[in-house]
Amino acid sequence: MIIFNIADRFLAMHDQLLQLRQLIQAVYPLPDEDWHAFTGIWQPFSAKRKEIITAAGEREKYLYFVLEGLQRVYYYDEQDREATLVFTYAPSFGGVLDAMMLHQPSRYTYETLTPSFFLRAPYHEVEIIMKNRPAVETMVRMGVTNALSGLLERLAEIQCYSSEDKFRKLLQRSPHILQLVPHKYLANYLGIDPTNFSKIINKIKI
Amino acid sequence: MKQMKAMSKFKLLSSLEQEVEKHLAEAVSVFQNLPEETLLKPAPDGGWSMAQCLAHLNSYGRFYLPAITYAINHPAGNATNEKFKSGWLGNYFTQMMQPGNSTKKYKSPKDHSPTPDLDARAVVAEFIQQQEQLMRCLRKAKATDINATRVPVSISKWIRLKLGDTFRFLIAHNERHMLQAKRHLILCPL
Repeated sequence: MIIFNIADRFLAMHDQLLQLRQLIQAVYPLPDEDWHAFTGIWQPFSAKRKEIITAAGEREKYLYFVLEGLQRVYYYDEQDREATLVFTYAPSFGGVLDAMMLHQPSRYTYETLTPSFFLRAPYHEVEIIMKNRPAVETMVRMGVTNALSGLLERLAEIQCYSSEDKFRKLLQRSPHILQLVPHKYLANYLGIDPTNFSKIINKIKI
Repeated sequence: MKQMKAMSKFKLLSSLEQEVEKHLAEAVSVFQNLPEETLLKPAPDGGWSMAQCLAHLNSYGRFYLPAITYAINHPAGNATNEKFKSGWLGNYFTQMMQPGNSTKKYKSPKDHSPTPDLDARAVVAEFIQQQEQLMRCLRKAKATDINATRVPVSISKWIRLKLGDTFRFLIAHNERHMLQAKRHLILCPL
């Protein structure tokens, strides 16, 4: 039994790393040798719904790769103001990236919105590999640059688009998101009042 | 009526958490996405609409969630106590709610009978909000003596159920009316 368990776990991990590799291939393909060095640092990690993975004020010690479920990075302050900044879901990287790379306490909270499954790697180990393997460093830079590009695009939409346009754009980018997340988080992400969000759904829905 | 034996607090709380997870997943994937007309349509037998079922649950949540939160913040007993034994009244209330044990109808008290003219989407949103809060309470309760800590019931502040029984009763009641709403959903043309 134990042997089967270990074999199962090995196969599952193999499959999960394959998903990670597919994502990396799309960002910046790594030579085999660099890829193998990179695979050694990942461990499985899971969390239930509405669990805090990284709290505001803490350091972000891990880089996450999402295998299942949906999470958000959000800002919250004493005046009860809340802003959902980023959603993460499979297959993408997760975590509070600025705190992680700058080695600073996080200004934001990373939490699950549905039961979630990840691979995660200690960032200090990612850094060691980046130092020794230029291809891995380039891959990380490309990944972060893509993320920045996505953020700027969203910033433009938030400042210019009407609520309806923002809603349409969200559905275009993530067609199933309405069935995955409580709508209040989507409304918050788009900067729309929840009542207004309901009205837009009633009006537009597919 | 079955007498309950002492059980592990952690087992009970995690099985209740799974139940709440199921209700949340259903509300998020199905109910929040239904058209308003569907949510507000009376049941074929003239019974409650789906929105009324959820509003009925919300009316209990509005009483019990603050009461549970207060109890967790003002616990009794010994936090390291890992056993829970249902009290006779708590067990009776929970059994009453089991869908398998009875299809008997209970008349809801007047202040828990929602009117048909509801803001259906706001009702579903409140239900989701409450279930997320309930889930947080279940997790916090792991560090609470759920046997000795008590919560007053909504009908009388003199009757106080064990915290563990309050969770069992409240979540069994949620299940009862989620089933009612889902029975109704099957009959609705989408």
